[in-house]
Amino acid sequence: MLILGIDTSCDDTSAAIVENGVKILSNIVSSQDEVHKKYGGIVPELASRRHIEMILPVVDEALKKAKVEIKDISAVAVCHGPGLIGSLLIGVCFAKSLSYVNNIPLVAANHLEGHIFSSFLEEEKPEFPFIALIASGGHTSLVRVDDFGRYKELGRTRDDAAGEAYDKVAKLLGLSYPGGPIIDRLAQEGNSKAIDFPRAYLSGTFDFSFSGLKTAVLNFLRKIDSSLLTRHSSLIKDIAASFQSAVVDVLVRKTIEAAKEEGVRNVVLSGGVSANSALRENLTNRALEDGLRVYLPSLQLCTDNAAMIASVGYFLFKNNKLSSMSLNPEAYLPL
Amino acid sequence: MKLRTENEAQTKEAGYRLGKLLKKGDVVCFYGELGAGKTTMIKGIASAIGIEERDITSASFTIIAEYKKGTVPFYHIDLYRIEHGSADEIGLYDYIRGDGISVIEWAERLGEETSERCIKVRIACSNGEERDIEIEGVEI
Repeated sequence: MLILGIDTSCDDTSAAIVENGVKILSNIVSSQDEVHKKYGGIVPELASRRHIEMILPVVDEALKKAKVEIKDISAVAVCHGPGLIGSLLIGVCFAKSLSYVNNIPLVAANHLEGHIFSSFLEEEKPEFPFIALIASGGHTSLVRVDDFGRYKELGRTRDDAAGEAYDKVAKLLGLSYPGGPIIDRLAQEGNSKAIDFPRAYLSGTFDFSFSGLKTAVLNFLRKIDSSLLTRHSSLIKDIAASFQSAVVDVLVRKTIEAAKEEGVRNVVLSGGVSANSALRENLTNRALEDGLRVYLPSLQLCTDNAAMIASVGYFLFKNNKLSSMSLNPEAYLPL
Repeated sequence: MKLRTENEAQTKEAGYRLGKLLKKGDVVCFYGELGAGKTTMIKGIASAIGIEERDITSASFTIIAEYKKGTVPFYHIDLYRIEHGSADEIGLYDYIRGDGISVIEWAERLGEETSERCIKVRIACSNGEERDIEIEGVEI
C-alpha cells in the first residue's frame, strides 16, 4: 500500500512516497535555508510564499523518483499541525485538492507524531513502550509512547526549545543560521568544561527550560573583550563546547530519568536537534550504562520530512481514521 | 506608572493584572533585553484571558504564535530576529488591532507610527530576580 506524505509545517517543503508505513520509495525535501538566512531564522510570510512555489514540483518529483503515478496512491497524508499556520495551510489545501480531484482518501497527521514515528522508517524498529525525546527548533518534549496513537506527554519546554537556544546563542556569537550545525562543529574543537554554564534540571518535573542558559551566555559575553571572539578563536570554541554540554546534559539526564521512572527500556530520539553529535554520543553512552536501548534516526530523518508523515498516515488509514474536506490546519496541536 | 517586582511570580502577577484590563484590538509593546522577563510577564497576561500559562513559550522561532483557546484570540509576536522596519514583510499587520489582543516582544524593531497608539511596557533586570517595570498607557 502506497501513501503520499506532504509536510509544509515550517520552512521545508517535503513530499514522500512510503510503502506499508515502513519503506521509503522517495523522500524529497526542498530546504528554504537560503531564503531565511539573512534574518537569522524563519520568516513565516516568506516561508508560505516559498511553499506555494515549491509544493507542485516537490510532489511531482516524489512521484517520479518512486516511479509511481497518482492513481497508484492509496491515501494522501498531510501534516495539519503544529507549525506555522500560513505554511501548514499550503500543504493542507494542496492535499485536499489532490484528494478531491483524484478521489483518494485523505488522512491528517500530527507533526510531532511524525517525528516519533520516523524511527519506524529505519531498519531497526523500536518496540513499544518507548520514551521519545523530540527536540527541534520549535519543540522540546518527552513523550511516553505505548502504541500507535497512545501517547502521554511527560514534559516539555517552558520557554525556549533546545534548537531555538542554539539559534539564539549562534546569533549572540555572530554565527549564521541555522545555529545547531555550526555550534556543534565549533564545539568539537573546544573545551566543554571551560565555562560552567547553568543547567536547569527543574527537579520534580520532566519540563525543560533553556531561557536561563541563553541569558547566562549573554552575561558571559558582556564581561569579555569582544575583539577576542573571532570565528576561529579558541574562546568561541570553548563557549560553543560549554554551551552545548549544558544543553546535552539536561536533555540526556531527563530522558534517562523519564525512562527509569516509567520503567521503559527503549528510548527514541527525534527532531532536528537529534542530528547533534554530542547528544547522539552522550545519550548512547548513558543508555548503555543503564541498560537502555537507544534508537537514533539517520540524519536525513532527524529533520522535517514527509516520509514520517506518510508513515503515520499509513497507520491512520489502516485504522480507518480518514479526514474530510473540512480539514483545517492548527498552529497549536498537542499530541 | 512604575513598579518593582521581587521575583518571577510577582512579574507574572503584574502581567496578570495588566491582562485583566486588556480588550479586543489592544496591542502591548514590550521593550527589554534578552532575559529581562518579557515572556514571563506575557505568561501572566495570557493566563488573565484564559490561556494556560504553560502553553506560552518563546515565540522567537515562529515570530507569530496564535492562541485561540482563550476568551479572545491572543497573538504573541516576537520580533527578536526581525530587522528594524521590516515588520511589513512578516505580515504583522494582518494580526494586530483586529479581533484579538496582541503582545509584541522586541517592539524596538517596529516603526514609530506602529507603536504610537500601543500600551508600552519597559522591563529591566535590576538585581537577581528583581525587575523594574514601567507601563505607559494604562494603570494596573
